Amino acid sequence: MNGTSVIDVGRPALRRRALSRSLRGGLKGGEYTWAVAFVVPYIAVFLTFVAYPVVYGLWMGSEASLYRELFADPIYQSTVVNTILYLALGVNVKMFLALLLSGFFMRPGWWMKTLLLIFVLPWAVPQISTFISIHWMLNGEWGFLNNVLYALFHIEGPSWLNDRWSALGAVIVSHIWKWTPFWTLILLAGRMAIPLEISDSAKVDGATGMRGFVHITFPLLANLYLICTLLSTIFLLGDFNAVNFVSGGGPANSTHVLATLGIRNAFEIAQPRLGVAAVMSALPLVIPLVIILMRKLRTSEVQI
Amino acid sequence: MLRGSLALAATRPFVGPHIARAAATTASVWFAQGFVQDEDVALRKAVADYEKASGNKIELSITPFAPERQKIIAALTSGVVPDVMANNPAEILQIYAWQDRWVDVSDIVEPQKAQFSETALVSGQAYNNVTKKVSQYGVPVRAAVVPCHIWRPLVEKAGLKIEDIPKTWDAYFDFFKKVQDNLRKQGERKVYGLGFQVTANGVDPYNLFMAFLLAHGGQDIVTRDGKLHLDDPKVRQAAIKATAYLGGAYRDGYVPPSAINWNDADDNNAFHAKLMVMDVDGTLSTEVAVKEKHPEWYFKDMVTHGIGYPNDNAGKPVPSIVGVTQLMIPKGAKNVPVAKEFIKYFAQPKVVGEFVELGLGRWLPVMPSLAKSPFWQDPKDPHLRGYIQQGLLGPTVPDYYVFNLAMAEVRSQHVWSMAMIDVAKEGVKAEVAIDKAFKRIEEIFSKYKKA
Repeated sequence: MNGTSVIDVGRPALRRRALSRSLRGGLKGGEYTWAVAFVVPYIAVFLTFVAYPVVYGLWMGSEASLYRELFADPIYQSTVVNTILYLALGVNVKMFLALLLSGFFMRPGWWMKTLLLIFVLPWAVPQISTFISIHWMLNGEWGFLNNVLYALFHIEGPSWLNDRWSALGAVIVSHIWKWTPFWTLILLAGRMAIPLEISDSAKVDGATGMRGFVHITFPLLANLYLICTLLSTIFLLGDFNAVNFVSGGGPANSTHVLATLGIRNAFEIAQPRLGVAAVMSALPLVIPLVIILMRKLRTSEVQI
Repeated sequence: MLRGSLALAATRPFVGPHIARAAATTASVWFAQGFVQDEDVALRKAVADYEKASGNKIELSITPFAPERQKIIAALTSGVVPDVMANNPAEILQIYAWQDRWVDVSDIVEPQKAQFSETALVSGQAYNNVTKKVSQYGVPVRAAVVPCHIWRPLVEKAGLKIEDIPKTWDAYFDFFKKVQDNLRKQGERKVYGLGFQVTANGVDPYNLFMAFLLAHGGQDIVTRDGKLHLDDPKVRQAAIKATAYLGGAYRDGYVPPSAINWNDADDNNAFHAKLMVMDVDGTLSTEVAVKEKHPEWYFKDMVTHGIGYPNDNAGKPVPSIVGVTQLMIPKGAKNVPVAKEFIKYFAQPKVVGEFVELGLGRWLPVMPSLAKSPFWQDPKDPHLRGYIQQGLLGPTVPDYYVFNLAMAEVRSQHVWSMAMIDVAKEGVKAEVAIDKAFKRIEEIFSKYKKA
């Protein structure tokens, strides 16, 4: 004997069995086979439609020379400014309005429900046609807005989409108009989930009106509001339609955001790698946002 | 397979030597959707005729222009390609030839080389940076130039006549400023003289600028050997004059303000809405789009200026830049023999001639012999004879990216547009705008130095 006990000899086998049990999640025989059969399609879908495109995108945008070319492009520099403005104003104004409006729509009455129905229409109608309509409405020569201005006040309205700031403003306003109803509904649902006992007891303690909102409603909604804001920021970073169909990235490529610049570089200039690089340059912002979002979601879970 | 072979054998006497003894099989073909439905009908007919003659199957995919461009670039990037595609955008032939991505089609072109116009033929050639030589990668099937489109009723309302339009370049375009001035005096609040696309979208602004560049003596900006000549004083002066005229017309209020943000279709729409008296726009899309719905517009009210462009300011003819649609086979195509056979069939004078004619003549044929057909010489049609004279029989040049791929990027980066917009909107002097543009062009050309 070399000093190894029977128990020691059996240990690796025991360890393997324990590991196998742990990997099987306590499932045995046929149960495990069924579990694998159910999971495999999801893994296949995940690998094909999530992992592969992400890895392929990272590979396409992996050359450092692409970023040198991108950062030297004056259009990219103005695009970064536009993207920051679009995010800062588009998300925050929209979410703040949604917070206020969700309080308004908490009021009782059938007319409030009717009003809510009308209010959600901009969100419900297809976005491409509405953004194209806005583009036409703002046309300087024959657009609806300038025709109304002329008919009512004999004012020759400006060409709204010919100036960088008014065109970008039009894009941001269009986005807010389109998406405020959606986030209002989400926050409305959040408000409705606050137990009545809490608000009733707060009222008994004198926390009504603004005091009730500041000390009771908002603290209870804060997590939801933050999560919605983070989600909206991530959605908006990838938003293509509002810019593309309202301003078209013009005039003179001055109102592009990263998503539209990526498409321009990839398909108009026929440099797909440069297009991917433009979109990838948003990753330093997206990744922290996703991490914060995940952490907040975990916190919310604990609170519940 | 047997059925296909029998069909091939049966039809062979009728279709001549172009239907080879290929096994009955399938090839995929991608093409951009037409501006009018007739173009798609013409394409489907040519494909159906080929299928009938050969027994082969063509999987035809017709996609709108802009999405097709994305589809093609995505396909070439991923490597999952069709067997045949047309060059959309046109410069894609040269861009991907540089990377050795096309099959050489010299064997298809060679037997009927004499049939093609020289411009069409040269447009299908490109430098391959892998093999280090120029080869034929495209088979020309149709072409287009950029005609001037004019509303006769607006000219006449201004108290002038179409016959009054001067024959030299600057005077020609100045005429429409006068038309606008006269119309404004009559209280027309929203009619502009000139539909210049001083925008940074699409291909129209590049085409417009290049027409003005050539008219002012800038033909040698890139010579056939691919060399750039920005140091040529004639080229610099031509670029300055073109920028000053186009940007100045906008700044002075003779171009619709929204033109600074137009896309390729916006000038067509604005012209149809009679927002401007004249438009400089590629193909006859402006006219054929209304032929069925408003025949009186097509036959009476719209004018495409007879024999093409006005002469230059010295009275000499100005060549038109021709954009040529080419059929190409990407490397990685699954069925190159059938792809080649299909292209060979399609490029026959009879087939390709019928293809452009059934498409209402929006596109031009690429073989001068086809210009004699009754369709193109119809005395009742006010547009076709002038159009074919301008784009096929008159002086023409290929687009400059054919000589050097860098010009394709000059076009897609909208370098000329930025110069026009600097003058039009920012009040920058044309000389300064052109210095900036030339610097950018030099940067772009430095990326495409032939090894």
